[in-house]
Amino acid sequence: MTTQEDTDLTEDQRDALQEIANIGMGQAGSSIAKIWGEFVSLSVPRIAHVERCAIPAMLTRLVGDGTVNAVRQAFHGQLRGEVVVAFSGGRGDQLAELMGYDDADSVEEQELLLDVANILVGACLGSVAETLTVDIGFSAPSVMGLDIAPSKLIRPDELMTGRALFLEVRFALEKKSFTSHLIILMPCDEVFVLGSALDKFLTSL
Amino acid sequence: MAVSILVVDDSPIARKMLIRSLPPDWDVEITQASNGFEALAAYRAGKVDVMFLDLTMPDMDGYQVLETLRKEDLNCLVIVVSADVQELAQERVKRLGAISFIRKPITSDGLGEVLRQYGIVV
Repeated sequence: MTTQEDTDLTEDQRDALQEIANIGMGQAGSSIAKIWGEFVSLSVPRIAHVERCAIPAMLTRLVGDGTVNAVRQAFHGQLRGEVVVAFSGGRGDQLAELMGYDDADSVEEQELLLDVANILVGACLGSVAETLTVDIGFSAPSVMGLDIAPSKLIRPDELMTGRALFLEVRFALEKKSFTSHLIILMPCDEVFVLGSALDKFLTSL
Repeated sequence: MAVSILVVDDSPIARKMLIRSLPPDWDVEITQASNGFEALAAYRAGKVDVMFLDLTMPDMDGYQVLETLRKEDLNCLVIVVSADVQELAQERVKRLGAISFIRKPITSDGLGEVLRQYGIVV
């Protein structure tokens, strides 16, 4: 899992990606803080290269043992991959309460999950794409599962790639036990494209 | 005489971006730190006139550095440089004694403006 492969990012590229992700996370955190009217704590972005079979274990390591409500959203264009947004530490109704709903039904709760995921993904990835000067677009988000274990979110056999890049950022509310993890997954052939974009960014420094 | 500056960020790339954005004619001596502990150690080891401080860092973050500086009555100008652009984050760091807040990605124009605003460079 930790062995270095030719397709992996170099240390410089990882440093650059971490800082670029940090900026993206700041944008996403600010967008969501405005909507929620609450202070959002941000984490240091984590990056890992993971073999396909190790993906469920990695999801548990990053997100935790508890169940989550999760949304996925694909991005495409000059960079391709998938984003998983996993909400933990509360049922959907806590999210509804945050968004100012008194009494949301389950359909409304799912719509809220999609809305919030869409905001986080758009702000975070949008900022990353802008910094790297690449064009990306987004597919519509969809619910992956409700009250589900993180290790069950992605079945290794549904991925085409042998190895994937994980990039995780975490948004947490101080006053409530509510956390959302945003995990960007990229197949190894796309990591090469990302590496070139990062090199271009690094030479511009 | 050269101004002593301390650049605190866990990201080497972010430190490089900041140092590259400093006014070219500003006579400075630069020290770098990659977390809050290193920042406080560097501060205690010698004179720091201006500290550029990131907020989100492992081990000891920027808020904890500001709190420690205030508790121990340590004296230097702290400019927070952060990707966390929430209004509450900006309010918090100013309450903790930072003189200014610069959002990442840093630019030489943005940095120069803050330094001139506080009379740190003319």
